[in-house]
This record gives sequence, C-alpha cells and structure tokens, in this order.
Amino acid sequence: MKKNSRFLIALQDLDIMISEIKDKSTAKELKEMGFELSGLKELENARLELAEQISPAILNRYEKLAVHYKIAILPITGDKCLGCFVRLPTSFFSSTPTVELITCENCGRMLYIP
Amino acid sequence: MNVKIKENMESEKLISLFNKDLCLFHLRSRKKFSILREMAHHLAKMGRVSDEDLIMEMLKNRESLGSTGLGKGVAFPHGKSLAIKKLTILFGKSVSGIDFESLDGKPTHIFFLILAPSNREAETYLELLSDLLTLVKNPEKLKKLHEVKDFSSLKVLFGGMET
Repeated sequence: MKKNSRFLIALQDLDIMISEIKDKSTAKELKEMGFELSGLKELENARLELAEQISPAILNRYEKLAVHYKIAILPITGDKCLGCFVRLPTSFFSSTPTVELITCENCGRMLYIP
Repeated sequence: MNVKIKENMESEKLISLFNKDLCLFHLRSRKKFSILREMAHHLAKMGRVSDEDLIMEMLKNRESLGSTGLGKGVAFPHGKSLAIKKLTILFGKSVSGIDFESLDGKPTHIFFLILAPSNREAETYLELLSDLLTLVKNPEKLKKLHEVKDFSSLKVLFGGMET
C-alpha cells in the first residue's frame, strides 16, 4: 500500500473514533460499560500530526468527501465500489496499477488497491 | 422469553464468534503496547487484518483516549479500521499479568481484542463489547475466566458444549 493511502486510512480510522466519542449516544453507551473517554484532546492532536503527513491536495479531497460520507476512502475488492456498490468500468482496472488513488466515477469516493 | 433461555442463546452467539486459532493462552509480552503488538501480529499472521501497523496505530490512539483495561484483571482493547476484514475477537491470556494502566491499577491477565471493519458491523461490535462486559461482571464467571487454560474451557465458560 502506498504512503498517502496508508495515512488516509489511519486518518479515517481516527476520524471515526473521534466521531463516535462526539456522538452522545455512543459515548453514553461506552461510559456505561465503564470506559474512560477523557483523552479526546490527545486524539485531536494525533489527527493534526497525521494530517500534516498527507499531501495537501489529497487531504483537501478527503476532507471534502468526509463531509458527505463517513467512509471516504475504500479498498478496491471485486469490481464494485464498496461505497456506492456501482460497478467500476473495465477501463478502470487497466489504468490502476500506476495510480495510487482512484476516484469512483459514481460517488466520488477515493479507492485504493490494498 | 425465559431469561435462562435468552442467556443461553446469547452465550451461544458469543462463543460462535470465538475461533480456536484466535485464542492465545500464553501471551509473552510484558508491556502494554508490546502485548497489543503481539496480538495484532497474530491476527495479521492469521489473515484477519491487512495491515498490522495500521491496527497498532488505531489501538494506540484508542488507548490514548482512556485505558481499555477496565480492572479485575481484564482489558477490552477495541476499535474499527479499514485494515480489518471482518468482525474479529482475539482472546489472550497473560499468566504473569502486565501493567495495562487499568482503572484499578492492578495487573491485567485477560484480553478480549475486538476489532470491526469501519464500514460495517458497527452495532454488532458495541453489542459484543456489552455482552462480554456482562460476563465479566458476574463474579463466578470472572473467576472461571481467570482459570481458563484452553479453548474447551473457554467454550464451557460461555455456556457452549465442551469439545
């Protein structure tokens, strides 16, 4: 897996974790189970550090997609985009090996080869 | 539904998520992140995760939010990542116990590492955490959990049939 894809996946994992903690119902559920959730600031700092390692153009694209989709970057498995489940064109597979991130023509999500 | 029947069904559901190959009864690491690495490495070896380092990064971030060592010698490291292929539980036991920064400050011996893909099974994952915590809250089951030596005894603890 290439560098930007790896960082983006780590960033997305972190964003999902942060959004869960900010979601009152999930946070309540986790607290009731006994989990301490006091380190939100640490997670936000980790996010800042991680974001700095991603090229600004790619980060910007991810941030825009993340406003609309919880999952903005996905691996390519099979012949469909796992975000919108629309079949990817055949031409897509012949051009992918040289490109790190591909855009789903239907939903715009970023796709990578795992 | 009869409470006992419901409990049995839940136990059966829970044990069906455990896999003999994902149970480590002799974890060797002595430090918090090393033990997480040992478990993540095993999952990578078993083909359950596509990138061990991404899992480690996510688990470290989760621990920085607050320790998942809830005390009584049990920890529930957990999280979601695209690097996880399907909902996975790894059971781990450290006979000597390690400092996992648990809430009661005591050594942690038992680990339930729960991982889910980021794009699905989100609800199952929380339900699973909750079910495992219910088990640990039962003093008798907790005692037996600490005595578990192999997969058969783990299955018995969850109410399944001994194999």
